[in-house]
Amino acid sequence: MFSAARRRGSGLGFALPATVLLIAFFVVPVAALLARSITEPEPGWQNYQALLGSTTYLRIFFNTFFVAGVVTLVTVLIAFPVAWALAIMPRRWAGVIFAIILLSMWTNLLARTYAWMVLLQQTGLINRTLQALGLIDQPLQLTNNLVGVTIGMTYIMLPFMILPLLGVIRKIDPAILQAAALCGATKGQALRRVLLPLAAPGLASGGLMVFVMSLGYFVTPSLLGGTANMMLAELIAQQVQSLVNWGMGGAAAFVLLVVTLGLYAVQLRFFERQEAR
Amino acid sequence: MLLDFDKLGAWKWVLSAICAVMALFLLLPILFIVALSFGSSRWLIFPPPGWTLKWYEDLFADPRWIGAALTSAKIGVIVMVLSVALGLLASLALVRGTFRGRAVLRAFFLTPMILPVIIVAVALYAAFLRLGLNGTLPGFVIAHLIVALPFAIITISGALETFDPAIEDAAILCGASPWEARFRVTLPGIRHGLFSAAIFSFLISWDEVVLAIFMASPSLQTLPVKVWTTLRQDLTPVIAAASTLLVALTVLLMLVAAVFRKGKSE
Repeated sequence: MFSAARRRGSGLGFALPATVLLIAFFVVPVAALLARSITEPEPGWQNYQALLGSTTYLRIFFNTFFVAGVVTLVTVLIAFPVAWALAIMPRRWAGVIFAIILLSMWTNLLARTYAWMVLLQQTGLINRTLQALGLIDQPLQLTNNLVGVTIGMTYIMLPFMILPLLGVIRKIDPAILQAAALCGATKGQALRRVLLPLAAPGLASGGLMVFVMSLGYFVTPSLLGGTANMMLAELIAQQVQSLVNWGMGGAAAFVLLVVTLGLYAVQLRFFERQEAR
Repeated sequence: MLLDFDKLGAWKWVLSAICAVMALFLLLPILFIVALSFGSSRWLIFPPPGWTLKWYEDLFADPRWIGAALTSAKIGVIVMVLSVALGLLASLALVRGTFRGRAVLRAFFLTPMILPVIIVAVALYAAFLRLGLNGTLPGFVIAHLIVALPFAIITISGALETFDPAIEDAAILCGASPWEARFRVTLPGIRHGLFSAAIFSFLISWDEVVLAIFMASPSLQTLPVKVWTTLRQDLTPVIAAASTLLVALTVLLMLVAAVFRKGKSE
């Protein structure tokens, strides 16, 4: 046995191809991009000063955090009852809904965004229905603004909130809630003081994941938001592709990177504490 | 009580209703696109005034759509093979390795998954401009491999963790060389993991948009890039037809995966 294990060696060599690939085409390029933010057009902090000092860019930061925040809030509010129901529903129904969630998640991102571009346009189904019902006189402006971005992003992020939350709720022992009932808790009390606190780690980690993913999202905001309502990822793309301003693009990428990694660090901390309990 | 569906009382109906509305919210836009792809209205009026296959004819008559789909498939298959191969080697190191710092190495391998893909895209775009890899097949493959590899590593190392190394040791004790043991004992033992990793890697590459937009050139583009550039001009029903075919592919792969899972559990 031991000789077999020894003959296998430490195994470090097996990690070599992936490591080389990631260093050459991930670590070095990202580091080079970030470096350009303080070296171009000339060495110094001017890119960051411009980025954090102008109302145009502050507006983009605001858009990004605002949309990510609203999307997170809405997905949390929808995902909690859905994950709760999925965890306890009769299996056949839960299976159907689960399949729909997976289908939506695995359907091509552009196909889903296209669906919302068509549904939300001025002559789209949603405006026509609202007009036919007499709720509005003039079609609402639902695309090329943050309303459209928020709707489209909520649609895309929902599965990422439901699935982790479902995992957490499934692990809760039903006996704990029976105990709450036996001790005389009403349903409202049991929900507020037992089920929600037990589901909180799932809500927090799912919410953080949705928030972070939303911050760096590119496709849906650019298609549903239009150029007047830019978000951070679009700013990076625009600086690099259209304006060929690598310094500014690098600075914006650095800000996004720091915020993303910072929030993941918070999550890791949070989870270590949870597991240590 | 709250976790027993039959004892929820009126809450049961509220929860079921929320679930049903959410399921419709997720499902209807997809069905809507499928319906529009067969609708005769150029302006995407719903319900369609009539039915037609015109948009599919347009799609298949345009060599650019076919070319983009073939490019996507080619890149997807290469990425799939490389991702499973590198993912397997990396997983062997992470799970079977005895060196120090495996947890750090694992975290390093998974970083491309958590960074916003726009950062990777812009960084690679800059690097590839210098290396002359922009708009080339290797450029696409490398870019997609970076984001597919973490998923392959997660899937394969998961399978490897549940495979008892003592079986491999037994093969070696019975006279197999370590490589023979790996190929003829361990690989078949984790074939489910390898298969899932392959499907995941292919799908990630096939569906990937952001990196592809930056890697594409007028002469070489993938299907998502073609959809993207067309979408920026107008909302033509041809995209509905293309999207429907993509949805069909998704459903097909989900069914294959379901049958596969069933076979595994039996």
